[in-house]
Amino acid sequence: MKKSKLFSVMITLLMITFSIAGCSSTSNGTDKKDDQVELSFFHRFADGANKQFFDSAVKEFESQNPKVKIKVSSAINDDYKQKINVLLGSSNPPDIFFAWSGEYANKFVRSGKVLDLTKYTKAGTELGDQIFTSQFGPYTFERKVYGVPIVMDGKAFFYNKEIFKKLGVNEPKTWNEFMTVLKKIKQGGYTPIAFGNQSNWAVGHYLTTLNQRMVDPAVLKKDYNRSTGEFTDPSYVTALEKMIELEPYFTKEPNAVTDDSAINAFVNGKAAIYYNQFNQIPYIKPAKFDWGWFNFPAIEDGKGDPQELTGASQGFMVSAKTKNPDMAIKFLNFLTSKTIAEKMVKETGMVSSTIDAVNKNSADQKMMDVVETIKQASGMNVWLDTALDSKIVDVYLNGAQQMLNKEKTPEEVMKEVQKAAKEVKESSK
Amino acid sequence: MVGKKMTPYLFLVPSFILVSLFIYYPLIQNIKYSFFEWNTFSAIQEFTGFDNYQKLFKDKVFYQSLKNNLLFAAISMLFQVGGGLVIAAILEDTVFKRFSAIFRTVYFIPVLISTSVIGLLFNFIYTPEGLLNQFLQSVGLESWATGWLGNGDTAIYAVIAMSQWQSIGYIMMLFIVAIQKIPPSLYEAALLDGASKVQVFLKITVPMVKETAVVASVVTLSGAFLVFNQVFILTNGGPGQASEVLGTQLYHSAFVNGDMGYASTIANIIFVITLILSILQMKLFKTEKE
Repeated sequence: MKKSKLFSVMITLLMITFSIAGCSSTSNGTDKKDDQVELSFFHRFADGANKQFFDSAVKEFESQNPKVKIKVSSAINDDYKQKINVLLGSSNPPDIFFAWSGEYANKFVRSGKVLDLTKYTKAGTELGDQIFTSQFGPYTFERKVYGVPIVMDGKAFFYNKEIFKKLGVNEPKTWNEFMTVLKKIKQGGYTPIAFGNQSNWAVGHYLTTLNQRMVDPAVLKKDYNRSTGEFTDPSYVTALEKMIELEPYFTKEPNAVTDDSAINAFVNGKAAIYYNQFNQIPYIKPAKFDWGWFNFPAIEDGKGDPQELTGASQGFMVSAKTKNPDMAIKFLNFLTSKTIAEKMVKETGMVSSTIDAVNKNSADQKMMDVVETIKQASGMNVWLDTALDSKIVDVYLNGAQQMLNKEKTPEEVMKEVQKAAKEVKESSK
Repeated sequence: MVGKKMTPYLFLVPSFILVSLFIYYPLIQNIKYSFFEWNTFSAIQEFTGFDNYQKLFKDKVFYQSLKNNLLFAAISMLFQVGGGLVIAAILEDTVFKRFSAIFRTVYFIPVLISTSVIGLLFNFIYTPEGLLNQFLQSVGLESWATGWLGNGDTAIYAVIAMSQWQSIGYIMMLFIVAIQKIPPSLYEAALLDGASKVQVFLKITVPMVKETAVVASVVTLSGAFLVFNQVFILTNGGPGQASEVLGTQLYHSAFVNGDMGYASTIANIIFVITLILSILQMKLFKTEKE
């Protein structure tokens, strides 16, 4: 009697243990009905109008294709960068996921996580024909295309036209003119440039442009490649010195200010200039004054092409492990089709990479000017924080942040970057 | 008969399985991982022996983190354990007894608010045009005003200050409970003998709450070495890496730089530190009982 009671207790406990241990392996969710297709979709457009647009686009796609169920999840920028790393390492990665271009995307490609999309994007295919060909560039590695660009982006100095008029200054074309303009604005009692560098990608965007303008293009190309990067050219130090030249004109203590409050300072008319991405124009729109933009001024002794524009396309990749590559492509086709792209432009203000999506019906004159600016640029210059290996980025941007606090000299920053580049170079062999 | 002898062990089996599966197995795995170089999405794990440890002991950021953790520990001991005890004693004093319920609640509320909310709040306090700088200006100390979180010299102290504000109420509560357990006759006797308030505090209250003080110290100390969310929300280790602590350095290595082996190494170091602290705690408790 006693023994059987003990036995039953034991069995119960064992069953509980096994049922807990078994949880992970049985609930994979793939054994659905045969004709149902489930796609998972993970993106970084997690706030406001952007999220609404993607949610409604997914719903529309689902109603057009009743057999498809798309599981959407999203996380905002910094969080996204970290979550996607973990998800791609798991046994169940998302079928379609967002990726910044450049080295950021390349590292996923190198570890075999991404489906080769070359055959879906070459000329004559739907994707290849409806998207600006140039925008595939930053997703092309060793002549194979791995990403579908959805938005184009560029960075320019946005300025408050009223303040410029009041102080009698014009858009500067060269660095020296720029310095004079900044001095006048400061004397006029405004913050010349709103700059919030609490998250240090902000200084990274400045350095992206400064490096491109100062450093010899061939050297830059060699250094931005993780297996040949050295960063020994003295122009990198000069580029950082240019940053120091700008420092007196920035928001006070930029490292203590968030990028959001920098935008606010510009929109409220306290600051005259803000270095802004075209895709952030919706944040500027509430401003009560007229605004315009000018490209980063040409630097007199720089070796880079001053017509190049900082910015890169952003888009989606398809997991190499996906069970339904055709359906994933169909969905991306749908997202970049002209009607949906127009809707995206209209609702979110993002600059679609679909040909003719930014037009009179979907956007205002300023947006159309943006597309012209991007089209006219002689080349695109991918963000430093996605162009370089993350270990180098970490050292580079932290160093630049400390340099702005006057805790490090440009030479010291570059010495650390060189060290990090050396480690990355060795590990990539 | 054999069954009877086995019974207690059989009862222990399920919990033993769970504990070893979810605590000891990952722990041992983590030690193994620290000898490899690998990232989350590459299948290849390259054996590198003690390379990660060598790199760690040469890493300036590691010492910066360790220093910040020690600062965290020292200041928390002083303000949370020391300050908490003093506040508890004042609130339990006969003079304050009438208001103590209100103050107890006021001091305890920050403990109940989530750190992310508090982090946001303190972000507003610390920004260059925030509450703190406005206050300094209004009392004529504008030369002290700075961007608290963006200045490498002040960032870690700003985080530590928030942490004190947040957790002092918890430690205070522990002490209040301990003080209430002290027999009132001791205080009455001291009063009859003409002891001053300070003497009563030092000679009666402090010795009588010694055991609680040990518990509070251990909680505070290991908390100081495990701290992550407060730093992560306020500064994310910045500017540069001035306010990095071991927890955030681990996070950055693992999920930003994708260097899982190195992150495991940092985790092992944190484990060793907290292990030493808990062994000390057990030793101290033994001496208490003897």
